[in-house]
Amino acid sequence: MKQDYFSANNIKHIDYKDIEILKKFLNPNGKIMNHRRTGVTAGNQRKLSAAVKHARFLGLLPFVAK
Amino acid sequence: MSELENKKDENQEVGHKVYEVGYLLVPTISPENAPAIYGNLKELVLSLKGEIISDEMPKMITLAYSMQKITTSARNKFNTAYLGWIKFSMDPEEVLELKKKLDLDSNFLRFLILKTVRENTIAAKRFVHRDTRRSQLHTRKEGEGENVVPINKEEIDKEIEAMVAN
Repeated sequence: MKQDYFSANNIKHIDYKDIEILKKFLNPNGKIMNHRRTGVTAGNQRKLSAAVKHARFLGLLPFVAK
Repeated sequence: MSELENKKDENQEVGHKVYEVGYLLVPTISPENAPAIYGNLKELVLSLKGEIISDEMPKMITLAYSMQKITTSARNKFNTAYLGWIKFSMDPEEVLELKKKLDLDSNFLRFLILKTVRENTIAAKRFVHRDTRRSQLHTRKEGEGENVVPINKEEIDKEIEAMVAN
C-alpha cells in the first residue's frame, strides 16, 4: 500500500468496530504494522492504532495471534 | 474500565458532547433477555438527559481472547459475549454518572466510553466508493474509448492488493 488507504477511500473517522478494515493493518501475529508498511499518514496512523487498541479491549481483535 | 478519546465533535446543544458506549454483555444472559438490557441502557441514557443518535442491538460474538470477570468472589471465564453499542449526545458531567452506573451493573462484561462525532463513522462507504468508481468508468467509456484500458489495470491492481492484504 503506497497511498494512504483512508484518504483514498474517503474515510475520515476510523471506527474501532470496523474490524475488516483494521485487520488489513495487522501482521499475522496481530501486531500493528509500521507506518512505512501501511503507507498511512502520520495522523491516520495514530487514529488507526487507537482504533485497533479499542477493538482489542472489546475482544474484537486479538492482542496476540498465534 | 473506560477510556476517553480526544476527537473533535460537533455540538448541537450547548454543552452537549457526542459519546459512544461500546459494551460486552455477559453470555450467561439468555437471548430473550439481552434486548431488555439494551432497552434499560437506552432508558438510562435518556434519564441522564442524553439524546440517542444511533445504536445497535447486542449480538452474540466470539471473543478474540478469553476474558475474566469476578462476580461475588467467583472468577468466570468467557469466550463469547453480546456486543452492542449506542451513540448519544450528553452533558460531559452526566457521562461520569453513566460510567458509575455501568461499573455497578453485573450484566456488563466490559464497556468503552469514547468521544466521537455525530456522523456515522462506520465505513460501509467502501462499497459506495466502488460503485462511484464504476459509474465514473462508464461515463468515461461513453466519452472516450481508449482510456478504458489503463483505468481497468489500476482497478485490478488495487483489488489484488486488497486481496493480498486480506
